[in-house]
Amino acid sequence: MSIRQLSIFVENTPGQFARATSVLEQAKVSIRGFALSDTGQFGIARLVVDNPDLAAEALSAAGYTVKFTEVLCVELIDHPGELNRVANILQKADVNIEYAYSMMGTFVVCKVYDLEAAKKRLDGHPVRLVSQDDIMAFSVDEVGE
Amino acid sequence: MSNSVINNNQSATGPIFNKDFECASRDEIRTKQLEQLKKQVAWTYEHVPYYQQQLDAIGFKPGDLRDFSDVESLPFTDKNVLRDTYPFGLFAVPMDTVVRLHASSGTTGKPIVVGYNQHDLEEWRYCIKTIVQMAGVVPGDRAQMAFGYGMFTGGFGLHYGLEDLGCMMIPAGSGNTERHLMMIDDYKTTVLIATPSYAMHMCETGEQLGYDWSSSSLRVGLFGGEPCPPLLKHRIEERMHIFCTDNYGLTEVMGPGVSGECLFARDQQHIVEDHFYWEVIDPKTGKVLPEGSEGELVLTPLNKQAFPVLRYRTRDLTVVTTEPCACGRTTARMSKVRSRTDDMLIIRGTNVFPSQFEDILHNIKGASPFYSLIVENSTGLDRLTLKLELEPAYFSDSFAELDSYRQNVAEKLRSVLQVSVDVKLVAPGSIERTTGKAKHVEDLRKL
Repeated sequence: MSIRQLSIFVENTPGQFARATSVLEQAKVSIRGFALSDTGQFGIARLVVDNPDLAAEALSAAGYTVKFTEVLCVELIDHPGELNRVANILQKADVNIEYAYSMMGTFVVCKVYDLEAAKKRLDGHPVRLVSQDDIMAFSVDEVGE
Repeated sequence: MSNSVINNNQSATGPIFNKDFECASRDEIRTKQLEQLKKQVAWTYEHVPYYQQQLDAIGFKPGDLRDFSDVESLPFTDKNVLRDTYPFGLFAVPMDTVVRLHASSGTTGKPIVVGYNQHDLEEWRYCIKTIVQMAGVVPGDRAQMAFGYGMFTGGFGLHYGLEDLGCMMIPAGSGNTERHLMMIDDYKTTVLIATPSYAMHMCETGEQLGYDWSSSSLRVGLFGGEPCPPLLKHRIEERMHIFCTDNYGLTEVMGPGVSGECLFARDQQHIVEDHFYWEVIDPKTGKVLPEGSEGELVLTPLNKQAFPVLRYRTRDLTVVTTEPCACGRTTARMSKVRSRTDDMLIIRGTNVFPSQFEDILHNIKGASPFYSLIVENSTGLDRLTLKLELEPAYFSDSFAELDSYRQNVAEKLRSVLQVSVDVKLVAPGSIERTTGKAKHVEDLRKL
């Protein structure tokens, strides 16, 4: 089980990210999680949204180059030690992470080097992976509960 | 370029506008030029006090001009002379017979203003008709103008020449890309007049909006206003399914219409030799160089009344050949201007031309023709930064991949230029597509 992440080039100057988010707002796309990174030579914004196709269409029309990447999304239980528990499972299953960031709620996005192998190795382990449908269905109200 | 790119049955070559002159023997061309040159020098001497003083100072009388070698003793005219005599100091006719003014973009200091009388405008139209036919434009074509009108010579110059040829002019002007696309579609435009970077912007905008360039009526791109890197031209030809040529000219000697590219000798431009006498000189010594050497282009318009100039130093570097062309023309061809004597950057003592970047980037996969160079010295040392747009297909989510791409570009630049360059990758479409001159270099150095 994996989800689709969108990446776009974003220059690290004032207003650049806001330009992208306003495109998504107009398209009525809901952002579930994001990470901004910049090496000094270039910057990438990574986004997890409820409707990746709609988001990509809107961003492309606004002139952005959009890249889809399949990533794992893990749902954690909200109590101390949980992240450590999952990190240990990933380590034992020999799943190598390229980068990770937390989304809204208790979701964590993990970009792994070999997605198929990672899925197989995590099979049977007590780690809850979520699907794109889960992301789509997830509502802000649930966080409050 | 293969014919499959072209979506129109029309052949690539149009008729030759003035076959008697453009296909004459070199001797005939030279004879006509010398005859015109004698008249022009006499006109200039008699009507412009500045030139009379200059020629008197070296003891040169118009009658002393017997052969081309005599031209070499005449003084050059450079941009400073035009600035010092601003606005009307070099005008050669009564002001009430001047029917048009134009001005150069004046990137530094005061603009340069030039004037035309009715005779000059007629001759200008002749030059435009000559060069647009080289590009395959024929009467009946529908020509859409994407240059700004205004003081810039490009808009009005091409407009009236094309109209005089019998084209339907669509004076859309610059900007509003979506409106341009709609007009191409609705009016069945066949010729687009634009800067190459704006044409590329139109192409990209059209693609984003789902416009199918392969079934568009557009057949010819007439480019000017800025140097056109060959890579950019090829990309536009492939993606917009049109033939692109670029033409050359400068306000100081007339505007567009000095030379134009035919469809055979790509990246070279036939000089309109019945209206311009050309020389190629060593920019350092001012000595005229033999044919085939690269040097600075010097132009003397041969049939201008209101604003004649003698031996104008263009600052543009080129090579001129008089070998006959496959298109049938025998007029001299100048290689496309890629750099100007005043474009040269000196980075920590090493000479670097922006055109060198274009050549290197041309051979790197994934590098788009859009870039900008920034030079600064805030740390005391000159630092050169290249901002480069990546082709969309080469964009990756992986920092490691992008970084190795970036380092590879930096390494290639360093090995050729002998100067280290900091490469920054920027989003596709983020470097400005201009409707006027593209500005590739920003020199922020403080002395």
